[in-house]
Amino acid sequence: MKRPSCLPILLALFFSVSIYAQDATEIVRKADAKFNGEQSSYSEMNMTIIRPKYQRNISFKGWATKGGKALTVITAPAKEKGQSFLKSGSNLWNWNPTIQRLIKLPPSMMSQGWMGSDFTNDDILKESSFVKDYRHKLLGEETVQGIRCYKIELTPLENTAVVWGKLILWISTDDYLEMKSNFFDEDGYLVKTHLSSEIKSFDNRRLPSVIEIIPADEPENKTKVTITAMRFNESYSEDVFTQQNMKRVK
Amino acid sequence: MNEILKIAWRNLWRNKRRTIITASSIFFALFFAISMRSFQLGTYDHMIRQAIESFSGYLQVQDTEYADDPSIDNAFSASPTLLASLRTNPNVAVVVPRVESFALASTGTLSKGVLVAGIDPEQEKALSNPALKLVRYRLSPASLKTIRTLPNVSTSLIDLLESMKGASFTSKETLQADLSLKVADSVLLNNLCRVCAVPGSYLKTSDQGVLLSDRLSNYLHIDVGDTVVLMGQGYHGTSAAGTYPVRGIVKMPAPELDNKLIYMSLDQASAFFGLDGRLTSIAINLRNTDRMKETQAELNRLLEKEKTVVVKNWEEINPTLKQQIQGDNKSGVIFLFVLYVIIFFGIFGTVQMMLSERQREFGMMVSIGMKRGKLATILTAEMIFIGLIGSLTGMLATVPLIILGYLYPVKLTGEMARIYMDYGFDPIMPMAWFDSYFYLQGGIIFFMVLLASYLPVLSILKLDPIKALHGQ
Repeated sequence: MKRPSCLPILLALFFSVSIYAQDATEIVRKADAKFNGEQSSYSEMNMTIIRPKYQRNISFKGWATKGGKALTVITAPAKEKGQSFLKSGSNLWNWNPTIQRLIKLPPSMMSQGWMGSDFTNDDILKESSFVKDYRHKLLGEETVQGIRCYKIELTPLENTAVVWGKLILWISTDDYLEMKSNFFDEDGYLVKTHLSSEIKSFDNRRLPSVIEIIPADEPENKTKVTITAMRFNESYSEDVFTQQNMKRVK
Repeated sequence: MNEILKIAWRNLWRNKRRTIITASSIFFALFFAISMRSFQLGTYDHMIRQAIESFSGYLQVQDTEYADDPSIDNAFSASPTLLASLRTNPNVAVVVPRVESFALASTGTLSKGVLVAGIDPEQEKALSNPALKLVRYRLSPASLKTIRTLPNVSTSLIDLLESMKGASFTSKETLQADLSLKVADSVLLNNLCRVCAVPGSYLKTSDQGVLLSDRLSNYLHIDVGDTVVLMGQGYHGTSAAGTYPVRGIVKMPAPELDNKLIYMSLDQASAFFGLDGRLTSIAINLRNTDRMKETQAELNRLLEKEKTVVVKNWEEINPTLKQQIQGDNKSGVIFLFVLYVIIFFGIFGTVQMMLSERQREFGMMVSIGMKRGKLATILTAEMIFIGLIGSLTGMLATVPLIILGYLYPVKLTGEMARIYMDYGFDPIMPMAWFDSYFYLQGGIIFFMVLLASYLPVLSILKLDPIKALHGQ
């Protein structure tokens, strides 16, 4: 009698692992498309910056395309109104109407807070490269705020300009919503946590409407972003994402 | 006793040269010790006055958290009654409200981090007085070209001006002094002033414009009438941005400030940082600076009900300067100690020599019946006389030097000046006015004379006349 070969089992195991891995990338891609739109997205948001001594509200709206272009304009408070940010490729531009100056934000300012929040300028620039710039690994399933989630580890690929050492994302199993993410630095220390909640429907798409950013070393600081409106896959003319438009947009 | 003093005095002048040599060794020791110490103390005093009295103030009222986190978020609202109540303290000379924070200044493609100081233009005249520091004349390349075409300009003056290219002056007098022009050259001086004049003016109350420090304006390549863009973060995370016309250029004596200071009217700074009338500090100068700690305590008691504010002294506000001075003082004291040791052995050697020279004399005196104790007493009196002569003349000789060095400080040049300026100080070394240090040095040297004569005089008590007469 021939001894059963263990090769098929090994092969099966091998494929299951690779399918699993492919699955993780797929999950991240789906989650990314869900939030950022397959082609484009338009959003209106309120941001509350919470500090031990004060709270501050900023409202803004933004347009973004799959090609990595995005335009954000501040709508409130009055002192900040009209400030706009243009992301084009890996450059971030800022237009300030009070001084009538267009400023290219230098690399040294990438880790600084955007508009004084816990959002860094880098968050705004790099958001869409979760799919392309990282290796994805499914760690298992966990429940976050009562929602069943895939727990996925993201490690940056070589030769990519990524400031994080590691990311862990929790993406809901049914809707592919990014419910929670942990950002770690190169030494493996937790830097900040993004926490999503209050799932609502925008443009026939169920999305978490509140995102909280909690820096790990300053637990009293917090930034809370509330999405008030969102539309997806509208087509925008190329003129939207230009420096000329930054000065006009309201 | 009188007799002993008389004999001692006569003994001194029996051999004038010997006495003068010993006394002059003491004289020079004291002269160097006092002048060195005077330079040190004078320089510290100048550093303190330059950094403290002319900008930050001896005392400052701040938010309680401002010391740990000097950010604009720790600003406080100050009522006019608070300012008035501070002025009621008899030792308080000046009280000025301030807003201080950092911003980015830019013009065209150049930008630099700057210290924005919001001031009340009128009240500030009593403290840092920017009005007096306004640059009136500047040796710009263009004005140098015009100077060449002026009549009666010697080539040596042109060379001097060329070497001072870019220098700025706050008054006609400083220009005259720096070029060492004589009163007779007044026509030339007036011509120079006309060519080099800078139009600047001081800030008005709630002025829309700014004053820029000299070096900063050089770095940013901007002048009076140009516009500077300021960007930064305001109170509670608001974004601060604005464009401001430059009203004037100020030359701050401390290079550290001269590199980065922008003066703005208080109202304008409040609007820029979104402070809504809040202040980051209230600077206070005192009448009697020796009572600083006491006044600080008094003011703190006065502000006790205000819970959120506290009074800090300059040592707490600027610990770096305090440590710098402490460290330098330590090395100064060590240097002085080394000087003392050298002086001591110098005096000791001379005294020893003087006494051994007189061995035969002493031997003779003892053998004809002079009591050893009496001889030792006479010698001690002699040493006291020499010590007094040496230290008094030494102290007297430093008097004109100190007066001169105090009124006309030594100006450093070259490498040394550069070192001073790198540390953020004026490259001058003034001397300290007469104070306890002056008498202390005199006392120390006099005491060393006594110490140096102790052993030799003691040996008189054990003098063997036979050996002494044989010169052994």
